[in-house]
Amino acid sequence: MVARTMAITNALGMHARAAARFVHTATVFQSRVTVTRGARVVDGKSILGILLLTAARGTEITVASDGPDEAEALEALCTLIQSGFGEGA
Amino acid sequence: MIRLIGIGVSPGVSWGPVALLLRYPLALRYAITVAHVPRETVRLEQARELTRRQLEQIHARVLSASGPDLAYLFQAQLLMLDDQLLVPRAQAIVAAERINAEWALQRAFDEFCAIFMDTGDGYLRERQGDVADVVGRLRRNTRLGSGDGADVLLDLDEPSILVADDLHPSLAGQLDRRRVLGLAIDAGSRTHHSAILARSMGLPAVVGLGTITRHVRPGVRVLVDGFAGAVVIDPDDELIEQAGTDERRRASVTVTRSDVSHPVTTADGTPVRFEANIERPEEIEAARACGAEGIGLFRSEFLLGSLPLDRLEEEAQYRAYRDLVERMSPHPVTVRTFDVDEGRVVADDEHGAPGLLEMSRGPLGLRAIRLSLDRPEVFATQLRALARAARYGRLRVLFPFVSGVEELREARAALQAACREIAAREGEVPPVQAGVMIEVPSAALTADLLAAEADFFSIGTNDLIQYCLAVDRTDGRVARLYEPLHPAILRVVRQVARVGRQHKKSVAVCGEMAGDPVALLVLLGLGITTFSMSPASIPMARRIVREIRLSRLRRVVAGALKLSTAQDIRAALSDEYPDLARSQQRRDDRPGTEGDHGER
Repeated sequence: MVARTMAITNALGMHARAAARFVHTATVFQSRVTVTRGARVVDGKSILGILLLTAARGTEITVASDGPDEAEALEALCTLIQSGFGEGA
Repeated sequence: MIRLIGIGVSPGVSWGPVALLLRYPLALRYAITVAHVPRETVRLEQARELTRRQLEQIHARVLSASGPDLAYLFQAQLLMLDDQLLVPRAQAIVAAERINAEWALQRAFDEFCAIFMDTGDGYLRERQGDVADVVGRLRRNTRLGSGDGADVLLDLDEPSILVADDLHPSLAGQLDRRRVLGLAIDAGSRTHHSAILARSMGLPAVVGLGTITRHVRPGVRVLVDGFAGAVVIDPDDELIEQAGTDERRRASVTVTRSDVSHPVTTADGTPVRFEANIERPEEIEAARACGAEGIGLFRSEFLLGSLPLDRLEEEAQYRAYRDLVERMSPHPVTVRTFDVDEGRVVADDEHGAPGLLEMSRGPLGLRAIRLSLDRPEVFATQLRALARAARYGRLRVLFPFVSGVEELREARAALQAACREIAAREGEVPPVQAGVMIEVPSAALTADLLAAEADFFSIGTNDLIQYCLAVDRTDGRVARLYEPLHPAILRVVRQVARVGRQHKKSVAVCGEMAGDPVALLVLLGLGITTFSMSPASIPMARRIVREIRLSRLRRVVAGALKLSTAQDIRAALSDEYPDLARSQQRRDDRPGTEGDHGER
């Protein structure tokens, strides 16, 4: 399993559109993806789970990936988050 | 003719017959026998497939009409549709508790909301609205033949104004621009995504109308004025004709950079300041593009969405306010503290979620500053968030619905306490100006007393008119008495403006009244030189200001103040400023009259 912790950077946080992009990216990979904020752990391939994290700008989350393509999955998801979900600041 | 005032969220003017859309709370709930579990499970599956087809169509339509950013909302809804927490969860509930499909869906949604409220973050609240939208559509689709609002719209014989109690984004995305001319909606904030969709489709829209669905019958003609945030039921032909001309005139106002990049002055050199009324931080860009030199009114209660007052945390508020002041820098941002009433959260029967934000209108009870002072913890949380944000830009605080000096003192003390707390916690907080919204007649009458203790005034014309004239603007039978140019209103504004000059305190007008060219002229003539209005109204207002000579306008308005009725006052202004005041538009059609207003 691989994992990385980072902050959400886009202004709107992980709202519906951003969460959808995250889930779309996560489901490309075979590996299991989880996202953790504090004590809450959710399935990275469930949009409702991602929304339940209520991750606004500045929130630290941990993305973890476990499976045959875990490294690629983690890289793709972290790139997406760091790019602000393609929404600019 | 009945005129109702709401909030214009998408500019433009349109008129047509009413098509009424009511989301009747269909809440059929019953227990089932174990033998019927498979039937209900299949119904849920069928509803999911039907919903998927509808959402795919909506996605395709929004993609071609409004582009990928908005279309992605429906990609998100499609993902929700297939989420394990929704339909599979409802199917499990059907089997475990032996209840019907709709009820089980509601239970699954309630479970989601319960967790969501637990971690609730108001700044991101619209997500719950998107989930509610999917659940509502699924529930309608579990009852085959129950139809869908959009199916009805497909059969409309003629293009119509859609009047609805509430409008979720997927329904807004289903609207056909050729069949729907405009939107008039009871609900306020939850229509946020729908408002964005309306703007992207160029569909005039007014929300927060309270009870318009109760005042219109299908087929009645209504006019939607997205600039003024007004809806006129059964408008006469003259008004329709005026609206048509105004619409063309506005369309001809092309906003160029030079139009909006400089502070504007009257033809005889008096600077006039235009700021914007907004509800969402995202509207900052539109406000700047329209030439706003600040945010004159940020309606902070819109941050609450469907959250109860005490659920919006300091951190979420702080981020929103800081975002506002940073994005508006170097211009000032005036945040109005929550203007909601006690009963703001009412159960939404269809989705069972705490819901409809009741816009504060009508009630003379525990609302706005009264509610804030009654709930010191909620108020302190908001003020701390404001004090923190004040460290990052020019932020002013505006207290709504103040009726006398005692409330102002109490509110200021709370603000000072919050600033001290933040200064101790995070470092120096610059002085935060505190102003009073003049919207209660007693505040207007004691403006001199308030001026001694307030840093600025903002006249909220919407409520001030309603309370001065004792007219419930949401009651269609008397709404015609809601008259911004009533002599009483002009006297009150003149008095407050005078007090402001004497005490050297700025006086802005922040109601929609200033979006009407005649009313704008009157306000200027009464000595108001700061306005806050919806961004879309600013370019037109700036153009009017540039063309008038204030010295002459003051004399005209002084004369008009001697008249007895609003009708006479409007006529007097229209006679003096025919081109600006809309009454003799035919002159516009003649070449060479553009810009000729007898001023020079």
